[in-house]
Amino acid sequence: MTGSRESHGVVEISFSVNGEAKTVRAHPMERLLDVLRQQLNLTGAKEGCGEGECGSCSVLMDGVLVNSCLVPVLQAAGSSVVTIEGLAAGETLHVLQEAFLECGGAQCGICTPGMILAACHLLEGNPEPTTEEIREGLSGNLCRCTGYSQIVEAVAEAARRRMAA
Amino acid sequence: MRSNPREYELVAPGSLQAIVALMAEEPGAWLPIAGGTDVMVQYAAGKLPARKLVSIWHLPELRRIEVTAGEIRMGAGCTYTDLRRHEIVGREFSLLHGAAGWTGGVANQNRGTIGGNIVNASPAADSLPALLVYDAELILVSVRGERRVPYAGFHTGYKKTLLAGDELVQSVCLPRRFSGYFSHGRKVGARNAQAISKVCIAALGRLAGGVVEDVRIAMGSVAPVPVRLTETERIVRGRIVDSDVLISARKAAAEEIRPIDDIRSTARYRSAVAGNLVVEFLTRLTSGRTGEGRGGVADFLARWNRLPFDEAVNAILPCCGSKAWAQGMAERRPIADEAALLGASDETWRGLSSADWMEAFQSHPRIGESRASQSPKAQSVEWSAQEQRNVADSEAAVKAALADANREYERRFNRVFIVCATGKSAPEILEILRRRLENDADTELHEAAEQQRQITQIRLKKWLQG
Repeated sequence: MTGSRESHGVVEISFSVNGEAKTVRAHPMERLLDVLRQQLNLTGAKEGCGEGECGSCSVLMDGVLVNSCLVPVLQAAGSSVVTIEGLAAGETLHVLQEAFLECGGAQCGICTPGMILAACHLLEGNPEPTTEEIREGLSGNLCRCTGYSQIVEAVAEAARRRMAA
Repeated sequence: MRSNPREYELVAPGSLQAIVALMAEEPGAWLPIAGGTDVMVQYAAGKLPARKLVSIWHLPELRRIEVTAGEIRMGAGCTYTDLRRHEIVGREFSLLHGAAGWTGGVANQNRGTIGGNIVNASPAADSLPALLVYDAELILVSVRGERRVPYAGFHTGYKKTLLAGDELVQSVCLPRRFSGYFSHGRKVGARNAQAISKVCIAALGRLAGGVVEDVRIAMGSVAPVPVRLTETERIVRGRIVDSDVLISARKAAAEEIRPIDDIRSTARYRSAVAGNLVVEFLTRLTSGRTGEGRGGVADFLARWNRLPFDEAVNAILPCCGSKAWAQGMAERRPIADEAALLGASDETWRGLSSADWMEAFQSHPRIGESRASQSPKAQSVEWSAQEQRNVADSEAAVKAALADANREYERRFNRVFIVCATGKSAPEILEILRRRLENDADTELHEAAEQQRQITQIRLKKWLQG
């Protein structure tokens, strides 16, 4: 890991965010979530519970779904982080984003970035998940609006489109 | 209170050697942090006592899984996802594989580690009962060298461990000698993912000629540390699992655990569930199946035996109508067969107060009517209709005479007239009713109770047919 020590405990930490190399100055125990939101102005990841229960702060770190509220930023040094802001290609939405829109998978929007990244992580490892596997893949992400059915349908729809593409 | 990151130091020396050297400089001062799924939660809540943390996340030395002929050695930094994906863990250590799959959700499984789960020492940790029954050993490392200790005994008290201030758990070793065992793991919690267990069980067993040759049972959330139920195991080992063994095992389990009331559950509920889980395991061990399926009365009773207490009470209540009776029956579980069920019913019924008897009487409709005065269960209404079929088919004159006699009975004894009507014609019932009007209050109470006992017996037999 990189991370050179400086006075007052602030260190320089370099990692890639949505494909761009970034270097931030932060206390090593600052949460990756806070660095993303406050220093890098990437406010897609939300703070729900702050204790790894709700999944609304989910990001991908080296392709793996993590709760960014539980990652001290020092542990992100040298890694490649993807947030919801990194999924769309310019104006073209990611297939999961399209499916969430069309199926009514997003309502208030707080859980949506985490849901989509969890679904993204699921489909990377399992391109044709069953309904049960979708539910398990999203089981760490809580939604208080939709009742989950539209979300599960959106992921199934995105999986179908990915396979057809 | 949110913690201030300025008050904390976190370093990542990057190699195991450098980490143990750092920890040796100030024993006890450095808290290792792997995936942070426990440490960061305490930190966020302002409840992390340590101020100096050393990252052990993603160290190659701690993340290997080595398999030899005799054992599997998992680096303490292996995540739940690593364990779930490992072929040998899946094939030979299904209890650990299962627990890894119901710990947290996907994101926490990607970051939470087996070593972290052990050192965090929560009595509710899902994977720890599995380590107990698999006879896990831990390799602890420090600058002083390595030592290998049995996992049983590693937790010395609530959130306390054998670990010295300069030591780290390096790996977890499981002997590969349990693949021939029947295994049963279950978490009882508010929800499968994320929710912390109210009670969890990991159990292994092996039968030889119907006799329990070996049995190993461990539970979480029922004591200050994850526990082996050694007394329960002793009672079961060498025995054929019959209803007596199930009853003694349930009792022993309740006696050797030390559950508490907390935000997730109560001690009383945990005791009941712990007993149910032991009975469920032994029943499945004996039936050699992981699911339902012996069919018929035995299967029906086995399912009822495993129901949560309140559900079991509700299921059997329409057979009698008295809540105290239904609770008494549920407390007598597991009940092995029809004869035991009928015997248990008579015993429970005779032990009730007259107020409980009255409650059962009130659940019946007046002879010749279809609904009871108190709101009865739908099943009870249907059974009453069957029982009184002969009365319903009888002539108007007899019905009218019955109605008069019923009213007289109710004036005299202040309750509905109870008779086991199955197979009796309306004129026969009328004759019985007129005779019983001559009884004194105490004699009549006992005669009504005897009739109710017979009704309950008939209903229990129908109930067993599902």
